[in-house]
Amino acid sequence: MSVVDSAPAVDAAPVPYSGSLLDSGARELLLDTVREVATDPDQRFVLGRRTAELERRLRQRVGTGDVIACASGTSALGLALRAARLGPGDEVIVPAFGAEPLASTVLGVGAVPVFADVDPLTMVIDVADIARRLTARTRAVVPAHTFTTMADMPEVTRLAATHGLTVIEDAAIAQDATLAGRAAGTWGQLGLYSFFPAKPFGMPGEGAAVLSDDPELARTVRALRDHGPGGERRSVHHEIGPHSGFDEIQAGFQLARLATQDARIARRARISAYYSQRFAPLRAHGLSAPAPDAEQCHYVYAVQTRRRDALARHLAAHGIGTRVYYPLPLPRLPAFAPYAPPGARWPGAEQASAGHLALPLHPQLDQAQVSRIADAVAAFFR
Amino acid sequence: MGRRVTESIPGSPGTAAPTGVPFFTQAASFERLWPSVRRQIEDVLDSGVYSNGPKTAELEAALRTYTGARHAIAVGDGTDALVLLLRAAGIGPGDEVVVPAFASAAPAASVALVGARPVFADVDPLTYGIDPASVEKAITARTRAVLPAHVFCQPADLAGVTDVAARHGLLVLEDGARSLGMRWAGVHTGLIGAGGAVSLCPTTTLGALGDAGLVLTRDDGLAARVRALRDHGRTAPSAAVSQGTASRRAAAAEVARQGELLGTNAKMDDVQAAVLLGKLAGVEADIARRAELAAAYTRHLRGAPGVRRLPEVVRGSRARVDPVFSVYAIEVDDRDGLVDHLARAGISTEAYPRPSHLQPCFADLGHREGDFPNAEEAAEHVLALPLYPDLTARQVADVCAAVRSFAPEGAL
Repeated sequence: MSVVDSAPAVDAAPVPYSGSLLDSGARELLLDTVREVATDPDQRFVLGRRTAELERRLRQRVGTGDVIACASGTSALGLALRAARLGPGDEVIVPAFGAEPLASTVLGVGAVPVFADVDPLTMVIDVADIARRLTARTRAVVPAHTFTTMADMPEVTRLAATHGLTVIEDAAIAQDATLAGRAAGTWGQLGLYSFFPAKPFGMPGEGAAVLSDDPELARTVRALRDHGPGGERRSVHHEIGPHSGFDEIQAGFQLARLATQDARIARRARISAYYSQRFAPLRAHGLSAPAPDAEQCHYVYAVQTRRRDALARHLAAHGIGTRVYYPLPLPRLPAFAPYAPPGARWPGAEQASAGHLALPLHPQLDQAQVSRIADAVAAFFR
Repeated sequence: MGRRVTESIPGSPGTAAPTGVPFFTQAASFERLWPSVRRQIEDVLDSGVYSNGPKTAELEAALRTYTGARHAIAVGDGTDALVLLLRAAGIGPGDEVVVPAFASAAPAASVALVGARPVFADVDPLTYGIDPASVEKAITARTRAVLPAHVFCQPADLAGVTDVAARHGLLVLEDGARSLGMRWAGVHTGLIGAGGAVSLCPTTTLGALGDAGLVLTRDDGLAARVRALRDHGRTAPSAAVSQGTASRRAAAAEVARQGELLGTNAKMDDVQAAVLLGKLAGVEADIARRAELAAAYTRHLRGAPGVRRLPEVVRGSRARVDPVFSVYAIEVDDRDGLVDHLARAGISTEAYPRPSHLQPCFADLGHREGDFPNAEEAAEHVLALPLYPDLTARQVADVCAAVRSFAPEGAL
């Protein structure tokens, strides 16, 4: 199996962890878009007609009720939590393994994050552990898709329905992924995608979108976003929301890139599948890699091994960049430690933190590079 | 390629040819700046980092030089700047912060967003800045800071505010939303108190083509906290940790030292930093041009019927003021009538009809009409006229002629 049909080229240059966001044409596209927005007679630079059009196109593409563009994934999660009216006295269950905003945004609305463990191999929230952490104050759960894996949304939503919890699906990394035929971001009452450069629909700046099928929640998210104090030319403020804009430059860029989005996702999927096929035989040697799966996310390809740090050094010696995303479980970060109950443990999150290592995964990698990466990983384990 | 973007959007710009005088445009000057902006954006494309990256760091250095600030920290927008400043100053639940009743909603909303309580004070009728005497009356045992806003063309009475703050042991944090270039006693606004927030939104003196903001401070500790807060509470990891080549113990120790602050994402886009750098070289000329246009407005409007006040820079006895006309605001008898009259002539204006203490979102503070008469008077009568470097003397004359042609009902 090969990623591209052309013959592999001999290439000993270093393979950096991160790829370039900008494939062919994207440089000129960004420059053209900046100039076009700057000189557009409407002189509207934030949340204008391009943003509205991007929202409309994404609604159609995803098949969801509403898409609301905003300033960042963190901002999107904060808007979703506020729209769900979560605040002081409420508990929100979040995964113990993941990015800081999972917990910081909960604290930002005055609610308390309750950390549930993750499955040590898939690294997504363990639904049985959610059930164990429920209290009379639990109001919501925020499952987050992680690296290549979507959280078990059928089970999460079933549990949430039983206990009357709001589900806010953190699909920041999971745009264009599906589970059981249903798009990531559409499983909960609220969901979100991030367009941070490295994300599947990355762009050259900060931005994100909140998704909801519930017209009332969507309306509230819009009101919070639009009535923020930084909003221009608004005279009456009904809600105290964080100003959360979306730049027209970025919206124009993303509109033009929608047409080629499927090709970029397909490319990432092929690289991911190639890795999984090459790494499957290494399981016996101590390497845990994502199983090939058509329904996976196309963000970060992370393997796990007890010898993670040695593997990272080995690959660095071969000129291959890698990354550790979350070296510690969230409840062990100083900002969140006060919300870790005494004696509580998250063995799955501990294992994931100590064992995960992300390999390069971006559309510009060629066959020679991915072969070289897979060869170097295999050499370490054999 | 850009053309295609346009064609895919309903209501293409070709159908909306501008007539009259828009409230703001920078389209013509942008075309002149394009070669230099383009070079700046190409740097961003070459770096491959699109937020809080090398171009943002370059902008920060340039703005340190321009403002004389020890620290200039780029953030996502002006509200981010205020929120991060308040949080870095340790202000939160249980604290009160005195804010002006006539300003954008940002100062009061930012205080509320960090969990503290905004307490309003009235403004001075000439500068529209917070009135020190009213600040003094608002102080309680829980007051931690006072947040003057510098609006329109000049700073608030910083001598008076600083005096009150010193007597009561309060921090002074400045909302210099549109104050880039404005100085008080030779010091750039934002640097008189503990720190200042500046908006770099499109219509300001130094405007991005989207959201952007800035924190200014002399305080190393405050600056370090703002920098960490804008990026999830993180401090820059060592290369070994980010690449996974550090030992497990070293990585855990480094991460454990990080993340002590509850952070957020308030990073500036490098594309916006590039635009701002492309415009920065011309900012003094733009400020001079704005002052010229403001003087022309004042010449044309002096004595105009129905106009009760023209902007007046208050030259305090205690400190020199370097004004910046970010907004040319007049007071008129029948403000809403004049807005409609000008709109019919294709002239766009901006009014600020509701003072902050009467905003629905602050209803729980229990204020009513009459609480802050100067703020309410300003809200009823202030009107901002178009003012930006691309405006021509001819357009200023047209706007003024239209103002003079307005005869309120019942007037002679």
